Amino acid sequence: MIEQLNPTLKAFTILVPGVLLGLMFDIFTPLFYLVFVILVTFLFSNISMKKWLLIFTPFVLLAIGFAWMRMLYTRESFAGGEVLFSIWQFDVTTGSVMIAISLGLRSLCFVALSLLFILTTDSTKFMLSLMQQLKISPKITYGVLAGYRFLPTFRHELQVLRQAHRIRGVGRARGIKGRIIQFKRYSIPLLANAIRKAERVAIAMESKGFTGEKERTYYHPMKVGKRDWVFFSTMVGMFFFIVILSYSFGYLNVFGNQF
Amino acid sequence: MQHKVKTGSPLLEVKGLSFSYEKKEAPVLNQLNFQINQDEFVLLMGASGSGKSTVSLCLNGLYPEAVEGFQSGDIYFEGKHIESLPKGEINKQIGIVFQDPESQFCMIKVEDELAFTLENRNVPTEEMAEKIDHVLNLVNMKAYKHVAIHELSGGQKQKIALASVLLLEPTLLILDEPTANLDPVSSLEFVKLIRNIREEHQLSVLLIEHQVDDWLEDISRVLLLDQRGSIILADTPNSVFQSNKSLIEELGLFIPRVYQKKKESLPIAVAQTSKENCLRLNQVAFKRWKKEIFKEVNLTLQKDEFVAIVGENGAGKSTLLQLMAGLLKPAAGEVSFLNTPLSKWKEQQLRKHLGFVFQNPEHQFITDTVYDEISFGMTLNEIDPQTMKKRTEDLMEHFHLTAHKWKNPFSLSGGQKRRLSVATMLDETPDLLLFDEPTFGQDAKTSEELMRIIQQIQANGTTIVFVTHDMELVDQYCKRVIVLNDFSIALDGRPEELWEQTELLKQARLRPPARLEATEKVGATP
Repeated sequence: MIEQLNPTLKAFTILVPGVLLGLMFDIFTPLFYLVFVILVTFLFSNISMKKWLLIFTPFVLLAIGFAWMRMLYTRESFAGGEVLFSIWQFDVTTGSVMIAISLGLRSLCFVALSLLFILTTDSTKFMLSLMQQLKISPKITYGVLAGYRFLPTFRHELQVLRQAHRIRGVGRARGIKGRIIQFKRYSIPLLANAIRKAERVAIAMESKGFTGEKERTYYHPMKVGKRDWVFFSTMVGMFFFIVILSYSFGYLNVFGNQF
Repeated sequence: MQHKVKTGSPLLEVKGLSFSYEKKEAPVLNQLNFQINQDEFVLLMGASGSGKSTVSLCLNGLYPEAVEGFQSGDIYFEGKHIESLPKGEINKQIGIVFQDPESQFCMIKVEDELAFTLENRNVPTEEMAEKIDHVLNLVNMKAYKHVAIHELSGGQKQKIALASVLLLEPTLLILDEPTANLDPVSSLEFVKLIRNIREEHQLSVLLIEHQVDDWLEDISRVLLLDQRGSIILADTPNSVFQSNKSLIEELGLFIPRVYQKKKESLPIAVAQTSKENCLRLNQVAFKRWKKEIFKEVNLTLQKDEFVAIVGENGAGKSTLLQLMAGLLKPAAGEVSFLNTPLSKWKEQQLRKHLGFVFQNPEHQFITDTVYDEISFGMTLNEIDPQTMKKRTEDLMEHFHLTAHKWKNPFSLSGGQKRRLSVATMLDETPDLLLFDEPTFGQDAKTSEELMRIIQQIQANGTTIVFVTHDMELVDQYCKRVIVLNDFSIALDGRPEELWEQTELLKQARLRPPARLEATEKVGATP
């Protein structure tokens, strides 16, 4: 299961095909890779289909938006082929349609890859792994973890602040100037409290003997095992397999150069 | 209450410790000399702002490094100067449990937080699980090993904070107002927990606390700090609280009930409450995230009443108060104020007649000076400048804020901030004033001062409702108390009725006031 994989290597595994995909301007490569990623998502992780769809769907709309804009504003070097139709003053050619669809599919690939990482990774484990695999300073990682705990408190506090100001008779801000004043009013108490809390947490951490030194033992030792490398080779290997496949079909287009 | 004063060798010795934030300013701590012996339980007392917490942070070497500050004097731990110890070493010998349960953790789950301490000590991975289980047993929290910390109650959080500090295997434990945020029963549980641990392990304790009734039998010595940050008294509790009572009163500190005279009856005779309705909740229900919080709450407040709402942490006290103020809308039912439903009130009019003082006064500050803060409501209501000036000045005089007229509200002391937040509600005499834990975290003097102000406001014809954990306040000031338990009103009556219902008190995690508890001694088992 992908949940059990080492977070750092998982991030790397996601990043490599992600970056390489950015160079593929044809339709075939991202389309097949997208199908592959979705298959991996549902076959090898515990993500519920409903949750995944709920997050993924809005991005489909966004991708269509990207594609549409790209179709209208294709760079001239890519916009070859015959004119299919024109909208207002834009001529839409076969070349620009291809580029547009490819962009849309690529964006969806990024989303699917990111979701595969985010929905299967525990933030604490990710930080622990960054410390143990990449030797990132504990000062940074534990700082991030402590900050992570603040997020819900912050929202609650903003709510209380709004109520408190309503009691004082300050209504909803009107206009841009009103909003700026309101922002100032909210930000000072919020910041004052955040700084105080951060200081308290820092002191509490130090008083428990935290020095920020890299030499420390770990309750959850994070290791990179065989299955992490299997996952890595599958994801990257499949990418190159699809690239070769689209090359043999004559679809492959790397950064505008047809092969 | 005789107890053994153990005289061990000195564990910690402080010689001429001074600390100041700015070189030119008067020091927060002034030439402190004291020692804490092996297995001793020392209480450090002082008024708000006397630098008590600073002492604890200086002792374990976090100050002056963590802040810009200047420290002089010497601290010896087991005969060694703490500056000669390697970094982090003194923190392992001296463990601190802090006041705020929300801000002393850095991990999400209980076991990870406990492991954090062990990792800092470089304990080998394979020994960790056993140590974690052991300490969880010690604080009776075994069942919560895999639970997320933010799901715990305040009392449980403090137990976890204690557990993580105990994993340091410290020789000295500093408790910095550890029970200030807890409901009465949780706070007693914490006291007993410390007592049990001390029976099994050798541990010296330095306690910083305002209200020490529950701790009294543990304390062997008391150190008294004055406002200038000097120790003016160091003696046994008996001598401090009995022979030097006037000195403690002068500093505005709480004297344990055992040493107090029998309490006199209410200082201000409460006027006959009229039969006029002030606020009425009719079949009010409330939901949050589809979860039912209140179901059919019925409640009528008459004019001039003085009502307390009590109940354990998370029983819905604040939510009820917000419903009363119209800050939250009921899912069903109706709240009417002065015989008009809240939904029919115009917002501006409503805020003139109904005030609300929040737990954290800072949340309510809007302007940059004390003067503007008080006159803000009057400006909104377009009152003529002459009257406004006079009224603002009267209020500042009344709340002892005149000297701070042009100061920024955020720069005031805790007690001053609290007074200002009340003053801002009084630009017109409101009909109903709601308070969310008004005396939270205040010393005896400020608490009493505030309650006196609230009584005066009531005498002028304002109905008062306040949420509190402090049963002494309920006993002393209220004629009516509303107990919330499991999101419904479990009792609505006179405080005396509540004190008799032992079962309900237990359920709602409340304790009767000390004057009754001393004679009955309820709940002796942990």
